[in-house]
Amino acid sequence: MVGASLSRWSMSYFAVALLALIVAEGLMTAGFGFPVAPIHAPETLALVHLIAIGWLSLLMLGALFQFVPVLVARPLYSDWLPLPTLALLLAGLTALLAGFLQLAGVISVPHSCFPAASILLGAGFSLALWNLGRTLWAARPLPVPARFVTVGLAGIAATALLGIIFALTLGGVISNPALLAIASQGVPVHAIAGLGGWLTFTAMGVSYRLLAMFMLAPELDGTSTRAAFCLGTAALTLLILGGVGAIWMDGNLDFVLIAAATLGLACAALYWKDMIHLYRARKRRVIELNSRMAGFALASLASAVVLTLILALLGVLPRHGGAIAFITAFGWLSGLALAMLYKIIAFMTWLECYGPVLGKRPTPRVQDLVTERVAFPWFLVYFIAVWSGTVALLCDQATLFRVCAGAMLLATVGLCIQFVRTRFLDNVPVPARFPEGVRRPRLLLSLTQPR
Amino acid sequence: MTVKYVDLDVRPALRAGEEPFEQITAAVATLPAGQGLRLFATFKPVPLLHVLGSKGFSHELKELEDGEWEVLFTPEATTEAATEADVVATPAEGVWPDSALTLDNRDLDPPEPMVRILAALEKMHEGEVLSALLCREPVFLMPELAKRGHQWQGAFEGDGATYRILVRVGSSREAAA
Repeated sequence: MVGASLSRWSMSYFAVALLALIVAEGLMTAGFGFPVAPIHAPETLALVHLIAIGWLSLLMLGALFQFVPVLVARPLYSDWLPLPTLALLLAGLTALLAGFLQLAGVISVPHSCFPAASILLGAGFSLALWNLGRTLWAARPLPVPARFVTVGLAGIAATALLGIIFALTLGGVISNPALLAIASQGVPVHAIAGLGGWLTFTAMGVSYRLLAMFMLAPELDGTSTRAAFCLGTAALTLLILGGVGAIWMDGNLDFVLIAAATLGLACAALYWKDMIHLYRARKRRVIELNSRMAGFALASLASAVVLTLILALLGVLPRHGGAIAFITAFGWLSGLALAMLYKIIAFMTWLECYGPVLGKRPTPRVQDLVTERVAFPWFLVYFIAVWSGTVALLCDQATLFRVCAGAMLLATVGLCIQFVRTRFLDNVPVPARFPEGVRRPRLLLSLTQPR
Repeated sequence: MTVKYVDLDVRPALRAGEEPFEQITAAVATLPAGQGLRLFATFKPVPLLHVLGSKGFSHELKELEDGEWEVLFTPEATTEAATEADVVATPAEGVWPDSALTLDNRDLDPPEPMVRILAALEKMHEGEVLSALLCREPVFLMPELAKRGHQWQGAFEGDGATYRILVRVGSSREAAA
């Protein structure tokens, strides 16, 4: 079959992911983990994995189950596998968080939860990789955005593998010296491969296509896009293979990290240039809220890059790693995710409800499902809070950071209310809401409407 | 079994700025069972690989000089391809009449191109053909056309920026709808 249909379980992924984001922001507001606790404290690690797996990875997977088929114009390999995948990942995340809370002494369980977390998360990510990998494999030769996604998937494979080694070490299962060496020194490789390789590189690939689509801009496939792809792929390869090699051969890991970061920054610069080009070359003069807010996220990515360079030149980068990770995770990745969700939820809901009756009966437009005037202030509060929070971290102002996290929480809840209203068609004027043959969609599941 | 290949060189047509898509689908439609197609083009015809892939052809790419390409399309003897071709109504059998209606949807915001095509099809008669220009592959439209019983074929034009889709209004439209 050619073409793409609605991904059945993506809405469930989005809902769980948003819930994880809200809980994480609540914990940050309450002063749980960094910066109140040290950056390597088990509490911080629990918080970081709630954000990285619970929020960002689940959101990204939910989006990929819908958009990989769009990128390659072929259906997803399996439409039912995403559900057991989600169940495994959620169970694995719960076990992982329990493991960290055991270490922190917050909960007391007789057996370590880390081995179970390794198995469940490993199985969940493997299923996701299998499903997306088979879809991509069937569609070769791949367009450039899909190649970004493929390398991103290699990034999650490497990140998860390293994570499993760490978890099995913490769970006391591993005693092999080579693996213990990775567990003791490989944390930066794991963190950068996850945030940079998996999440950032995949987000870049998806945004090349989505922003071009929503702004009526030409698809980019030129030298700078291909160079960005090659540089990013080289950065990730060097980071993982070079990083593990340096650890095993007692080499200089810092040197590998700096070399990989240089390639990665060059990739980000070319990507940034391409995005500016997309915004300038667009045919659509007045752009929708999602594209405007994606601009804020891109500005956050640029800020993260510039900040990294400045802190490195000042020689204080290691001390401020938390601030860089924060603006990358919340300004760039989460900002882009929230902006894109605003459109994706509206579009998927519109297609599910009105697609079958298009042309047969009058139907609302996609834009009728959203109220930008209400959502815009929440986006604004969110981004200002993230940027202020970054400054608070740089200045070691823990209380100010908690105030900013509270504002982020408020804005996220405000946006979630908008997402739910969109999903339930509450923004559509009543007379046009349910033409004959259209019924209210379910919150968590996309179904073909009766015809 | 050795597959025989019919040669089709669309390079002259492409250089003359013509659109060889119909020439290619006509050649595929008249291929005897079990025969393949050897295509010569001035660029890598990525969309065509998908289109013929959905009709049960595997492909083998070979880059020639000056960025030109030779592609071997080989019919696959699997039942999977046949099943897929049945799901999406994309056969090129028979002669399609000239398009009764042409839409240029290239400058419309998504999903307006899809909305207009489906609306126009509802007003057309069985067997009539609609031709539409788009600025990207209409991935969500394709399954909807199949569900409504329409046949379609489409591909990017030589510039790689314009996607032309031809839709023939199906007989099972009312039943499917």
